[in-house]
Amino acid sequence: MITHQNPSPRKPERVVLLGARGFIGVAIRRQLDAQRVPVLALTSADLNLAETSATDKLAAALKTTDAVVMLAALTRDKDIATLMKNLTMMQSTCAAIEKAGCGHMVYYSSDAVYDSAVSRVSEDTPASPQDPYGAMHHTREIMARSLAKVPLLVLRPTLVYGLDDTHNSYGPNRFRRAAQKDGKITLFGDGEETRDHIHVDDVAALTLRCLLHRSTGTLNAATGTSHSFHEVAEAVSKQFSKTVEIVKTPRANPITHRHYDVANTIKAFPDIRFIPLEEGVARVHREMLEKT
Amino acid sequence: MSDVLVGFAGMTHLGVNSAAAALARGFRVVGYDPDREVIEALRRGDPPAVEPGLPDVLRRHASRANYTADIADLSRCDLVYIASDVPTDGSGTSDLAGIRRLIEGVSGALARGAVVVVLCQVPPGFTRALALPGERLFYQVETLVFGEAVERAMHPERIILGCANPSATLPAALGEFLSAFACPILPMRYESAELAKIAINCCLVSSISVANTLAELCERLGAAWSEIAPALKLDRRIGQHAYLAPGLGIAGGNLERDLATVCKLADAHGTDAGVVRAWIANSRHRRDWALQTLHGAVLSKLEDPVIAVLGLAYKQNTHSTKNSASLALLAHLAPFRVRIFDPVVPATAIPNPRCHAASSELDACEGADALAIMTPWPQFGTLDPVQVARKLRGKLVLDPYAVLKAVACRAAGLEYRTLGVECSNPG
Repeated sequence: MITHQNPSPRKPERVVLLGARGFIGVAIRRQLDAQRVPVLALTSADLNLAETSATDKLAAALKTTDAVVMLAALTRDKDIATLMKNLTMMQSTCAAIEKAGCGHMVYYSSDAVYDSAVSRVSEDTPASPQDPYGAMHHTREIMARSLAKVPLLVLRPTLVYGLDDTHNSYGPNRFRRAAQKDGKITLFGDGEETRDHIHVDDVAALTLRCLLHRSTGTLNAATGTSHSFHEVAEAVSKQFSKTVEIVKTPRANPITHRHYDVANTIKAFPDIRFIPLEEGVARVHREMLEKT
Repeated sequence: MSDVLVGFAGMTHLGVNSAAAALARGFRVVGYDPDREVIEALRRGDPPAVEPGLPDVLRRHASRANYTADIADLSRCDLVYIASDVPTDGSGTSDLAGIRRLIEGVSGALARGAVVVVLCQVPPGFTRALALPGERLFYQVETLVFGEAVERAMHPERIILGCANPSATLPAALGEFLSAFACPILPMRYESAELAKIAINCCLVSSISVANTLAELCERLGAAWSEIAPALKLDRRIGQHAYLAPGLGIAGGNLERDLATVCKLADAHGTDAGVVRAWIANSRHRRDWALQTLHGAVLSKLEDPVIAVLGLAYKQNTHSTKNSASLALLAHLAPFRVRIFDPVVPATAIPNPRCHAASSELDACEGADALAIMTPWPQFGTLDPVQVARKLRGKLVLDPYAVLKAVACRAAGLEYRTLGVECSNPG
């Protein structure tokens, strides 16, 4: 459950986006601009959080009234070196905030903090990361929580999809690219496994709501509706005028499912609505065609 | 009529219903409460709790009842039941300060040799720690059921009695009083009786949790819990009276208190309470059924929707709203217009500036986009779905406790949803 420090929405004086060039950062920036919220968008080119000088540079840029959204992280590489670099980046961020202060912090974590074997997840599900990436986000959450004076929201997004996603992980993004390139989508097994896929614009909209309400606590960013990968593949293939083959392969791993209980999101924002998967997939497809 | 004079300290829901049962069994009763308004109301025949049949029993036996706000009046009693409310905090933890103060006050007022019986829900170890001689101190398990309190107080299945010495003969006054209920009396050590009360509630919660868990699965699989539950009740190992109706989580406060007590005791003694914590989690999960259903069908789809809510009490035939699923829902409907009706609880219980206190069930439905029947008051079952459909602007009816007939609702053009059955495959 999250708590709104602003019961009625109020624009923050400024939002500092760390990791503004990333897939989610760009979407948040777009929505903040639409709401005319002043933004200081920092990318790794502006400020390399892994460098020792980053703390002072960031502290000098921060105002005590800023809302800081920390999205900066190296990719999902599961090696220990990446883990340590990511922790260094968070160390710089926390030290800067400790030094300069800020009015609100949103830490962008991940659902990788949960054990992948847990099929039904809510914010009450204990964090139990199974790999360095999950451990990194869990540790960074703890680092953020150690900033005693900063109202903190931890957002844990599940599988995010959208046109500009660079991760190409198994799901809508990869399926779309594969369908476009090869005319076929390859599934693990029959694609029976279910997952919750959230459109990047929904993630950004949820972030915006939390910034306006200066929300604190921990919240999963998920739609509450899970689909099998086969359903996702069907939704993607329908967008193409050409026939897209859905290829099933022998299953190498046991089937796992993931469902989200989004009651806390509904309680926090009772009128919230998410883009249904079919609609979201269609939207991404349209954007792809427009771009090409 | 018996010569035994029975006192009840605390004219609470428990106290007044227990006093009514004592009156009905032919005893003279002293009902003490420090609240003069409660006493004045009782003298007028107006009990402080809503229970079917209660005013009638009190009226019929009024000549043998003496209600008083003076604790010294208990000095004439042969035995005194301690029947105060034991409040709980948000986590279900009991605040025992009030009951300790009451017992201290009653002890000071009692005649030599008079017996004290603790009737409230107390944690194991509470009774033995009291500074009263064991031969005059007992703990009796109450099995109050809101909405059936008089009936259950009058006709208990058995009396579970915590004693300092379970093999000793009961004091005469207590023995005579308990015998009047014509049911087995089970003396046991204090701690066993205190834990027996908790054990009963754990069994009830486990049944409720089974029903809720499998009813939710029914909603996804095309099965109907309403078809399954009767089959279970015919199983001798489960029984006709098993709590197998799915609901919106545990409410009322008493069951939650016992679950919290078990968790706390297990933590303190290093025993496993994982299953109890799972019951608590399941209860919280199911409480959100109405909100999640409303969100999916209305709140996320319509601009400025109007929601009609029937029922505020945590269950039918009571004024209690402790942990009420209706109030939990309404807390999250604050941004929306709501129209509320409850036969007993006033709508002023809801701190929603956009709340309309309806004068009737149909008035609540007027122009609403959805109707949620959150308390299974019997009178809601007499609503005509055709009239409901005429009054509503939308078609959605959430009826978790199935007080309306699904078939009639669908025939009236309503989109009817209840617990334990798939909405797209109602059968």
